Amino acid sequence: MGRLGASLVAFRAEPSGWLGKGLGAACLALVLLVWFLVTMGGAAEERLVSPSVLPSPWETARSMVPLLTERGLVESIAASLFRVVAGFLLGVIVGVPLGILAGTWRATRAFFAPLVLFGRNVPLAALIALTILWFGIGELQKVMFIFIATVPFIFSETASAVIAVPDRYVETAQTLGATNRQIALKVLTPLAMPSAYTGLRHLFGLAFGYIMLAEVINAEHGLGHLISLSQRRAMYEDIYLILIIIGVLAFGIDRALVMFQRGLFPHRVEE
Amino acid sequence: MSSDAKGAPVPDQPVHPADVPVKPKEVAVGPEPRPPVVDFQNVTKTFGEGPKAFTAIKDVTFRIEDLPGKGEFIAILGPSGCGKSTVLRIIAGLSPQFPATSGTALVFGKPIPGPGPDRGMVFQDYTSFDHRTVIDNVAFGLECRGVPLKERHERAKEWIAKVGLDVAKDAFKYPHQLSGGMRQRVAIARTLILQPRIILMDEPFGALDPSTRLRMQDLLVSLWRDLEATVFFITHSIEEAVYLGDRVFILSSSPGTILRQIEVPPPDRPAKDMQQEQTFLSYVFDIRNTIETLESSTRAGDD
Repeated sequence: MGRLGASLVAFRAEPSGWLGKGLGAACLALVLLVWFLVTMGGAAEERLVSPSVLPSPWETARSMVPLLTERGLVESIAASLFRVVAGFLLGVIVGVPLGILAGTWRATRAFFAPLVLFGRNVPLAALIALTILWFGIGELQKVMFIFIATVPFIFSETASAVIAVPDRYVETAQTLGATNRQIALKVLTPLAMPSAYTGLRHLFGLAFGYIMLAEVINAEHGLGHLISLSQRRAMYEDIYLILIIIGVLAFGIDRALVMFQRGLFPHRVEE
Repeated sequence: MSSDAKGAPVPDQPVHPADVPVKPKEVAVGPEPRPPVVDFQNVTKTFGEGPKAFTAIKDVTFRIEDLPGKGEFIAILGPSGCGKSTVLRIIAGLSPQFPATSGTALVFGKPIPGPGPDRGMVFQDYTSFDHRTVIDNVAFGLECRGVPLKERHERAKEWIAKVGLDVAKDAFKYPHQLSGGMRQRVAIARTLILQPRIILMDEPFGALDPSTRLRMQDLLVSLWRDLEATVFFITHSIEEAVYLGDRVFILSSSPGTILRQIEVPPPDRPAKDMQQEQTFLSYVFDIRNTIETLESSTRAGDD
């Protein structure tokens, strides 16, 4: 108990693996307990919080079966994932090379600066309206929405990562006879990639949240669509359950990306 | 400013009655005179303009002759901020110190074109490329020249062994798996594999612990003997300068200029033996006095 107590109050020190996980689990358990307590009881009048506002944990868990069998949860997850991955990949294909260019030859950065500033500040709601105007209301619109929403961030994230590589590496490469092109490709890009990847990983998490917005409008499948449908049909258990599923999914994707990162950059991994 | 500074260009004879014989300076006498390795004439570097202008070095003048079959080892000492690095970076061709504001800086009789592999540089901070294994770090320069993979790995292995690393154990490690001393060995191998005529070292052992430092000094001496390269070596350690150097340059501070050039005995014994000997220590004391006088006179000048 002494050591456990000491590491609980340790100043600025990261708790050890199991203790850290245990603390997280304790938080979840507490939320679940409060949820359970405020929704205890049978009829609506007996409960602290009405079931039309917050269904009980059991009622929520129970709706998993119809969600899977009747409402196409798996198809919706697949549809949402496909849209985010497609839009984000497009963003990476365009944004990363341009970002590397901008970090290496700063003139490129100055040239794109107004466009990036504008792109980063476009309100998402307005972007939905614009993409509908440009691409209709089909799949293309959803993919392009994610693309346009993320590409300015992917660009600046990559450019900053390249700019942050200390000059010493460039000077070392120069005194070893590397040309500018070789420095860009063999030194700056690979040294910037681990931190750029971390930035992109966080962005992907955001994009996964964005797609729900676009799916509220005319989507056949998709988690956002499922949520808005549940809301219209007053299926509150489903809303809560989908939110939990989104959280678990986002966490799973992030962990998978971290594992991939370890394989990709054995020399450096940022959490 | 100390008045001693005016007498700077003439190299001082060793001040102490030398019971260690100091070889008289050989001058290249041959059918055709070879241009000096490095020739600085009144090199001055000023940053900025107007009242905010800062002169890092002023009228730095020295010449390193191209002696057949031998490279000279120049150790550079001086208080912090005296422009030691500026001198090195001008030779390396690294901006913003390069190019000099005025004066002429020639390498092998030609103006410096910018950075190049003929003037290798080793920095104090560990500049191993983190994403490359030891062998690919060492082979970097050869890779840039387009040497095929197999050949450059062969040669990199030779150099990994030469700097005292274990080829089988260390060649495929990443820099983060190495200690500071090992990383500097990699940096030295990476520079020397290109056989530069000039090696510029900016406090390369400054971040190492004392015993590692002594071992690195011995390593450097043994490698340098084979290479016949001219070495410029910046250090804060007077012992290190006296041990490694053929000549020690003492720079005064702001603006930096060469105050004294002292010839010292060559390092012909292991660092930890030689650095305890009386003659060695008398050189160290002499230089320490010079630097202390210099620092106190600079401080007085500030008031």
